[in-house]
Amino acid sequence: MKVSFFSILNVFFKIGAYLLGGGYVIIPIMQDEIVQKRKWLTSDEVCDYYCVSQCLSGIIAINMSILVGYKLLKLKGAIAAILGMALSPFITIIIIANMLNQILHIPFIDSVFWGVNISVIVLIYLAVKEMWEKSIVDKFSAFWFLLILVLSVLKINPITLILVSIALGTIFFLRDRKNA
Amino acid sequence: MLNTYILLFYEYFKVGLFTIGGGYASLPFLYHMAENYDWFTIDELTQMIAVSGITPGPIGLNMATFAGFKATGILGSLTTTFALVLPMLLITTQVFRFYLKFSESKCTKSILYVLRPTSCALISSVGLRLFYNLVLENDITLKHIDISALILFVVLFLMTFKCSRNPVIYMFVAGIIGVIVKFC
Repeated sequence: MKVSFFSILNVFFKIGAYLLGGGYVIIPIMQDEIVQKRKWLTSDEVCDYYCVSQCLSGIIAINMSILVGYKLLKLKGAIAAILGMALSPFITIIIIANMLNQILHIPFIDSVFWGVNISVIVLIYLAVKEMWEKSIVDKFSAFWFLLILVLSVLKINPITLILVSIALGTIFFLRDRKNA
Repeated sequence: MLNTYILLFYEYFKVGLFTIGGGYASLPFLYHMAENYDWFTIDELTQMIAVSGITPGPIGLNMATFAGFKATGILGSLTTTFALVLPMLLITTQVFRFYLKFSESKCTKSILYVLRPTSCALISSVGLRLFYNLVLENDITLKHIDISALILFVVLFLMTFKCSRNPVIYMFVAGIIGVIVKFC
């Protein structure tokens, strides 16, 4: 499939519509839509874009869409990606905004989302599995993964953990440069 | 009236600029809006959070659309959505140009070397927390374990070995099983 404004819009419209249960699900969805089906990006790029996205201000899923769109078609691509992402939430919310009270108390809807929420755990597992191969490459990265996991479970602010990681990466760079 | 749109734009531009790390991080800003403007009440905000979690799209974006709609209708939604994504569009594209230029540099590589396991661990912890909430019912001693949730989880987990990697299939199957278990 050729990359054009409308093909990007179309793909991101789909991604936005599938994005249930929080932004983390975006990694497996992108692996499926953009890496497997369309081969627009490599799996490595998707993982790296996720890493970059979560360091930036704003919503991770939106930032990631901007990165992918921009990579494909510069500013035009980024705008197409945002429009596509915003479209289905926009339509859904406007339709249901006035029926809020009724919707929140329908047992049928409740039961659907009980199931979907559990599938989100499995989708997160798929995202982790995908990133695992790229990120856990030696003893240090395995150690660092465990350390951050424990700290994060102990509810240490993720922003702190990200900033510390960036700082440590910079220290590694400076050390290597000094040795070289 | 025009004033309201300027205020909506201003407030949401701030949300887009200062939220770091996902939709729920924008909640403090929304509470501030509920207290200081007559766009929506705290009660409506609570409903908005619940609905934004179960409708498609990133939660932060859903809440913005919702808040704008509550304030002034469809035009309000357009204003808040635009204001929310504008700072991201400006910052992210600039950072990305920088990143592309230096993505082969040693510095970017060593930062990503540390950042990749960090991302992986942060996502894992969200998965663990969800598992703890939904399957273990917030009790580490396993006394309140939700058996039907555990079975559904195991079934979906086993599917990952056999099935396609299309995430929508998992959500679809889980939704149907949810209806069979909880509704029928």
